[in-house]
Amino acid sequence: MTNEELELKDRLSLIETMIAEGRKTTERWGWTFVLWGVAYYVAIAWATWGHSNLAWPVTMVATGLLTAVIASRMGNKEPETTMGRAIWAIWIAVGVSLFVFCLSASAAGRIDQQTFIAAVAAMLGTANAASSIILKWGAQFFCALAWWTAAAISCFATVTQSSIVFLAAIFLCQIVFGTYMMISEAREKRAGRNSGAAHA
Amino acid sequence: MPETPPEPENGLPELNPVIHGKLRLALLSLLSTVEEAEFTWLRAKTNSTDGNLGAQLLKLEEAGYVAVEKKFVLRKPQTLYRMTEAGRQALTEYVQALKQLLGSAINV
Repeated sequence: MTNEELELKDRLSLIETMIAEGRKTTERWGWTFVLWGVAYYVAIAWATWGHSNLAWPVTMVATGLLTAVIASRMGNKEPETTMGRAIWAIWIAVGVSLFVFCLSASAAGRIDQQTFIAAVAAMLGTANAASSIILKWGAQFFCALAWWTAAAISCFATVTQSSIVFLAAIFLCQIVFGTYMMISEAREKRAGRNSGAAHA
Repeated sequence: MPETPPEPENGLPELNPVIHGKLRLALLSLLSTVEEAEFTWLRAKTNSTDGNLGAQLLKLEEAGYVAVEKKFVLRKPQTLYRMTEAGRQALTEYVQALKQLLGSAINV
């Protein structure tokens, strides 16, 4: 192989390397899953023992603000990618839907607990599924399946059963998955690679 | 006006000299993956110095391959670079020319 051919191959390799480098990101979002998981528990506890219609809307707004503050303090300097914007759009859209639904359902007080849990779980299943398909991330699709299962069970179960299923789904899909994501992100950052967790 | 690539000679395409420079090629490849990027991000990804990076980005800007936007965020100056449509077209043509040249080298 001549020097000229080697140089051409070198240029082609440089393009591939830089495209891979550009798509790599060090964004960290695992903490948001854990934070929102805790927020759901707070809202549930407040609504159950405080008997307040304000529990869900107030907790959701407070957690939304807290998420925005923490994210801005983390000083994310990563440039926007199409994939990142797609993921962001899904979670913002589902977040707004959840807020509108929780606020309206709490204010109206006409929806039973099982229906409320089924709707919330189905929406979270949708967001996780769409996100996992974009990222090609099996672990997150498992979360979507868990949420959808919780939604389906809640339609048939008693109030107590659906509450237990909802609490278990929050633990599995928010706390456990968020912690797993944080560990993956830290590990990927150390290794300088990127997979589903650090891809968005 | 965006710079046009050289005309093909002897049936084989010629590589666009504006893109062929290593750092300029790296910058265009990086910018092809994002909506827009800060100067500091490009510097970190290419491990280049401020002076060299600024000079190469200026060449790309003069060729019409990159657009620059300067603004202030929280009173700090921020320079954002975005690949133009002409830049994307030029990079695509460069890659095609590169593959054609490599293909012809293998066939010889």
